[in-house]
Parts: sequence; C-alpha cells; structure tokens
Amino acid sequence: MKLVCLGLNHETAPVEVRERFALSDKALDRELVSLLEAKDIEEGVVLSTCNRTEYYAVVNGGRGAAELESWICGQREFDGAREGIFYSYEAREAAEHLCRVASGMDSMVLGETEIFGQVKKAYQRSLDGKATKGVLNRLFQRTFSVGKRVRNQTGIQEGATSVAGSSVELAEKVFGRLKGSTVMVIGAGEVSRQTAQALQSRGASSVIVTNRSYDKALELAESIGGHAVHFDSWETELKDVDVVIAATGAPHFVVKPGHVEAVRRKRKFRPLIMVDVAVPRDIDPQVGEIEEVYLYDIDTLQEMANEARKRREKQLILCEEIIREEIDKTVLPAVND
Amino acid sequence: MAMEIGWLVIATILAAAAGVFGWRFHKGGQSRHLAFLGMAGAFACQLMALGWRGELRGQCPLSDIGEICLFLAWSLTFFYLVTGTTYRLSFLGVFTAPVVVILQVIALIPGSFDESPAHADTIDAWREAHAAFSVLSYGALALAAVAGVMFMILNHRLKTHDFKGGLVDGMPSVHRLVNAMARIALVGWIVLTIGVVAGVMMDGGKMIAHLLVATVTWVLYAVLIGVYFVRGLPGRQLAIGLIILFALSLIVFAKLG
Repeated sequence: MKLVCLGLNHETAPVEVRERFALSDKALDRELVSLLEAKDIEEGVVLSTCNRTEYYAVVNGGRGAAELESWICGQREFDGAREGIFYSYEAREAAEHLCRVASGMDSMVLGETEIFGQVKKAYQRSLDGKATKGVLNRLFQRTFSVGKRVRNQTGIQEGATSVAGSSVELAEKVFGRLKGSTVMVIGAGEVSRQTAQALQSRGASSVIVTNRSYDKALELAESIGGHAVHFDSWETELKDVDVVIAATGAPHFVVKPGHVEAVRRKRKFRPLIMVDVAVPRDIDPQVGEIEEVYLYDIDTLQEMANEARKRREKQLILCEEIIREEIDKTVLPAVND
Repeated sequence: MAMEIGWLVIATILAAAAGVFGWRFHKGGQSRHLAFLGMAGAFACQLMALGWRGELRGQCPLSDIGEICLFLAWSLTFFYLVTGTTYRLSFLGVFTAPVVVILQVIALIPGSFDESPAHADTIDAWREAHAAFSVLSYGALALAAVAGVMFMILNHRLKTHDFKGGLVDGMPSVHRLVNAMARIALVGWIVLTIGVVAGVMMDGGKMIAHLLVATVTWVLYAVLIGVYFVRGLPGRQLAIGLIILFALSLIVFAKLG
C-alpha cells in the first residue's frame, strides 16, 4: 500500500491544458467514483482549483504514479504531449507536498489562504463519498493541523502581495479598523473595483464612485453596493471621505491641493488616505504635503507588495521545518514505507 | 540602604524589563502580557517606595527631587496601566517604560532623596492636594507627550513611505494615536484643574510664581485641547503642541524649584 500524488498546476501546465483537467463539482463526484473503481486504488481525494488539479490516492499491488497518469489522461481523453506537465510524488514526499499545498507554499500567490479551504472542501467531498479510509483520513487531518501551525507560527501569510491588498494595509495603518469608513473611487476600471472591494471586505461601509462617464460609475457602484456621483460634483463629497482611490485614464492631475484645502476645516483635519493607482498619476504629489493627507502612488504599492513577497519567501525554510517535524510524527505505512 | 531605594531599584529593573519585553513583543518574540506585568510590578514597587517616604514625611512625599521623580514615574505608570491594556496601544509601553526608567534612575542618584526628612507637624490639605494632583496630571500629560512622539515617528514614516524595519507594523494606527493623545491630555488637564484649584485655596504667599506658571500651563493646555475638540487640528500639530507644552512646563517648574 502506497500513497501517490499526481497533479499539474500553474507552473507545469498552461491554462489550455489546466482547463482540460479542471473538474466542476459534479464532475468531481463522478471522477471519485471512477477512481475508486479503477484497479488497485483503495482511497482517493481529488483537488481541483483554477490553478491546479491533483489526485491523492492510496494504491495497492505495486502500481504507482505512471499508471495513475495513464488512467487520468484516459479519463480526460488527453492525447497531447505529457512531458513536464505532470508532477508526481510517492509516500512521504506526497504527504509533504500535500502539506505545502494546504499551507499556500505551492500557490501562485505565496502564502494565500484560500487554498486551505479548497483542500478541506476536496477532502470533505471524498469523505462524504466514502472515498477515504484510514490513510487519507489521518493524512488530511494531519495536513490541516500543519496548515494551522504554519499560519500561526510563521509569517508566510503576512503582508499584502497585491496592489489592492497593499491599499487596504495602508488604510488600516492610518485608520486601524475600516469599519464605518467611507471610500471614494475616482475612475470606474477594474483596479478601482478590486481595491474598493478589498476595502469593503475589511469593513468600509460606504463607497462613492465617480467617473467621467456617469453610466460607468453607476454600473460599478451598483455592482459593489455603492452610489455614483457626477464627475463635476465629487469635490463636495470629499468632506465625508476617509479613503480616496484614484484610477482614471486622465492625462493630467484630477485631484489638486486646492480640492483638499477647500474641505480641510469641514473635515476637522481628520486623516485622509489617498491611493493613486493611475499612470499617468491622477493626484498631484503636492496633495501629499497637506499635513493630514497620506498619499501613495502605484510604485509605492508595488514596492510594498514586493517587500511582502520577499518576507514570505524568507519564511519558507521555517515552514519546511514544521512540515518535516509533523510528517515525522505521522505513523502511516503508506507514507513511511 | 534605605527601604525606598530598595523598592525603587526593583521598580526600575521591572520597568526596564517591561521595555525589553515590549520591544521583543513588537519584534514578534514575546507575549505582550509580559510588558504589562512588568509595568504592573513596577507600579506596585513604586507604591511601596512612595508609602515609605510618606511615612517618613508624615505628608504627601513631594518635597525633594527624588520624590518628585518617583511620583511622576508612578503617575506615568498608573496612566500606562489604565490606557495601555488594549492590544495596539500596549506598544506605548515600549516608549513609556524607558521614560519611567530614566525618572527612577534620576531619583536613585545619591542626594536626590533627603536622607532625614523633617516630619510634618501640621498638614495643609490644600497644599497636599495641589502637589499630588499636579504631579498626577503630569503623569497623564507626559503620557500624552509620549503618544505624541509615537505619532511623530509613525507620521514621518507613513508620509515618507518608509516601511522598512517593522516599527510601523507594531504601532497603533494614526487614528488611534490621535485619539489617545487627545483623550489622555484631556484627562491630564482635568486632573491639573483640580490641582490648580487646590493651589489657589492653599495658604502660601511664596507660591505665587509657582501658581502663576501652573495657571498659564493650564490655560495653554485648555486652548490646545479645546481647539482640537471644537475646531479640529491635524494630528501633527496636536502632537507638537503636547510635546512642546510638556517640555516647556517641565523646564519652567524645574527652574522654579
């Protein structure tokens, strides 16, 4: 009896191959049934996300990753070149790989947390479908405790690694909790949407959207539960705003010092954070010289995200140690042999 | 070694340890509770030292430089313990603990404490209240100034986009620091008001200059705090105001003896 892992991910396979192997919820259930019907397969869990599809199986009779690969390609009717697309691990290496995946160490965004929930869901699906027994049940339980330990004892998830995340981090550094804060979005593009949604997810209660094209402002506002204002009246709204996100395509400064100076007294000099994600910039850098204004442009946000990525990478050694330590404690013939 | 010196040495060690624990917590190594416990221990030892000096004097122990420093360190620690329990603001300990240590080290310099203080035969209650409330208020005002220093550091780093070194990570938010500065200063000002009123009531013709300075200080703090709460004030201006007012009043009172 041996634990085998076979998979492909964003590093080994292009999207057109990944989508051939990706499985919907319904297809996953059918795949599990077929997997268990295959010869010499005792237990199985299938993980399918936008970036990876992985099969964890406990196999008998000397079968290994090569047989599993052929079976999977047969299932998907994939006759393309397989070289370098799949990776495989057996026994202890497979267990360690699963821990890395669940801890976000193998993700496109290092340390992301969503994958932990996806692994849990995949396991639960197999458990419900009676596709797991002694080996995979114990292995996945161990994996979840490893994931929690990695999250609690290392900095693998610290710091924001995206522009939207960095904006939230800065806003929290100025305001603490964002609950009840008001966000103004100038420009109705995708970056505006992502950043506004990231701020909403951390408690921002009101989002004001303004754009040269009022229809686009309205569209974005409706999709994120905010309200739109006409572009010629955004200045008057500034007095109630805590965070400004500027992301228009304008070739000149949209926000000038005079706009903020005009509302300082009305705002009672409350802190105002301004995030300029536009190129060319939307906010005159002189606005940042106003005492209570904290102004950041796209370069600063990128730099913050890069720093966070580097800090996360430095945590990898510590994470590997935790995984080794936890797998050492696992006594399972399919893993240890 | 006099009893108060022994307690003060322990209090100083505990406050220094609180500073170290606070710093290590900020660096991610130690429980934040250790810093709080260190300051709580220091507070208890300060109380013992103050109690001992009070017994010797038969009145509120605020007559020599050692006692004033000790009382100021005690009031600073008191307000730290009251305001510093919440998570982020407990980082204030990293800044407060060294100030407490410095004050206590000054008190420990030989000659700071009068070795054989005269025992008071009569007590002027107003004078005692004036001294005690004034020094207590200075504890709060000192803490407000410490929060002001923290704000200046955080503000500078956020304005200049300097996020290296991790100090910004462990600090409270700008919003919280501004609130802390204003609220602690308000508490200090209210206590100072009681001190000034008690000073007006006390019997002491020689204290006119002292009272005048106390009243001017009270008025300046009233203006600063009033402007902040009524009209609003950028955090930086509030911080600078609190730091300058505290430093100036301390210097003037030190000159007056």
